[in-house]
Amino acid sequence: MKHNLTIALKSQSVAIERFLRVVRHRGFDLTHLQLNMDDGQYNMAMTVDSDKPIYLLTSQLNKLVDVKHVTLQNLQQQAV
Amino acid sequence: MTGAELTIDLLAKHGVDEVFGYPGGAIMPIYDALYGAPVKHYLTRHEQGAGFAAVGYARSTGRLGVCLATSGPGATNLITALADAMMDSVPLLAITGQVPTAAIGSDAFQEIDVLGMSLSCTKHSYMVERAEDLAEILQEAMHLAQSGRPGPVLVDIPKDIQMAQVPFKPWLAADEYLPKLDLNQVAIANQLLSEAKQPVAYVGGGVHAADAQNELMQFLNKTQMPAVSTLKALGSVLPDYEYDLGMLGMHGGQAANLAVQECDVLVCIGARFDDRVTGNLAKFAAKANVIHLDIDAAEVGKRKPAKASLIADLKTSLPALECVVTPKAWCDHNKQMMVKHAWRYDYPGEKVFAPYLLNQLSQRMPSTSVVCCDVGQHQMWVAQHMKFNHPCNHLSSGGAGTMGFGLPAAIGAQIARKDDFVITVSGDGSIMMNIQELATIRRNNLPVKILILDNQRLGMVRQWQELFFEGRYSETNLSDNPDFVQLAAVFGIAGQTITHANQVDDAITALLNSDGPYIVHACIDDKENVWPLVPPGAANDEMMTEKAQ
Repeated sequence: MKHNLTIALKSQSVAIERFLRVVRHRGFDLTHLQLNMDDGQYNMAMTVDSDKPIYLLTSQLNKLVDVKHVTLQNLQQQAV
Repeated sequence: MTGAELTIDLLAKHGVDEVFGYPGGAIMPIYDALYGAPVKHYLTRHEQGAGFAAVGYARSTGRLGVCLATSGPGATNLITALADAMMDSVPLLAITGQVPTAAIGSDAFQEIDVLGMSLSCTKHSYMVERAEDLAEILQEAMHLAQSGRPGPVLVDIPKDIQMAQVPFKPWLAADEYLPKLDLNQVAIANQLLSEAKQPVAYVGGGVHAADAQNELMQFLNKTQMPAVSTLKALGSVLPDYEYDLGMLGMHGGQAANLAVQECDVLVCIGARFDDRVTGNLAKFAAKANVIHLDIDAAEVGKRKPAKASLIADLKTSLPALECVVTPKAWCDHNKQMMVKHAWRYDYPGEKVFAPYLLNQLSQRMPSTSVVCCDVGQHQMWVAQHMKFNHPCNHLSSGGAGTMGFGLPAAIGAQIARKDDFVITVSGDGSIMMNIQELATIRRNNLPVKILILDNQRLGMVRQWQELFFEGRYSETNLSDNPDFVQLAAVFGIAGQTITHANQVDDAITALLNSDGPYIVHACIDDKENVWPLVPPGAANDEMMTEKAQ
């Protein structure tokens, strides 16, 4: 199932790498990524695909120190 | 003040007075600042030894462990210790030197992208890009390593920043987001507890991380709930607790595993349903409603759904649970199972029986002793047959299962707890993985004791080859091991070899009475296996036992 996420990250140079590593390692395929630097932070729009429930990814992403927020766009798909 | 001086100064200000490491080109300014500084440095003989000594220091005290290494191979040698600390939630700070800023990206001598390597094995990591950021980064790193769910943090500092004049900026931790107890979830949990007929407390390493042993014991003493422990939790439930069923999981006791399989409410306290604990997950505690207590929201529902989730510090969440007294019939049943499946030490034959040796050692050593394991059969025998009264007295590489952990971890523990009896229990495979640290023991005259259970095999792998690979013993024969007592003697460490059961008691006496370091090399039966065993893919009530073999 595909999920759309918007994410704000601190503008640390390694933040995106760290973030994407977690996406891959936790078993989610990246199918779309848009990245902008605005107001001193990275803003990302991302689509991921996986058989796994999305909260298994968002809960891991929310732990990252560089992550300011993770928002799931299609909330109806967030089967907890 | 230079960046190097500031680094040492901040460690001291944070209460770090002992660190472990190994110098090299890119970290020389920091080593220069250490010269004569109030922070005592312990030189190990390999950076992995420094990493595990810092882990042992942290786990045996609950304090921050700190290790230092140079760039390139110095830093790569720390990686295994960082991964181990990540899996076991150990508060660790690793400081690595890096080539000068201008050389980064040029494939300079001993340049490796340490920040990139650290991403999968740290809670957080930094490379300092501007001298003026150094103070803030170091202070934040020390805070992060110890806050929330603890973990390893790495700070990579280019050599030019170590040498630059840097300002000190006091850093104040931002108001930390600590999860607040959801009172609705507390109500659901308490409703489940009030209806439970056969509840079990499943205790994990989070109790130690949260320093919540008192809260745990208050809960257990009031409820009389049967309790099972993960490898990392051993010692959290006090050994005189009437319904302590011991370790669960792949090599857990039968009473512990059967209780979990039969329970109707499973109170998971700072544990994470690790695969070595659950066996076949679909069949694990299949009849139970789970109440999950953890500070890390990502652990709740990761492997097994919870009916109630209390995401908070255990010091807060445990007292929020209602202390409903456990039905007596269930308590009595579990006591009977403990008697029925009690460990036996009446070993036929004249060889040294490792479980008996460990059980005797456990009974005779001081209750404040620290046991540091390596990984394999001996590690499981320690978990099964030794008793601990605090998790900081049992250091075992749980999540990562790192051979080579025990000896350097014992060095760190002995330095942290100078007056306590510290022993590493190792196997003939594991001990060789960081054997160079015998030199660290000698250099510092540390009274670390060493017990090697030698079956001349990679015993756990051999056991699996016997049981699951048709006896094809591929690369597990270590019968060409060195003479371990002679080897220790080269490092100035005395010891003895024992081969017979009737030598066990005297050997333990020698370990307990020796003032300095001492090694007992115990030759055990190469065919001895660890029982019971939950085979891969099986449920925890489908244990293989010695009797059934």
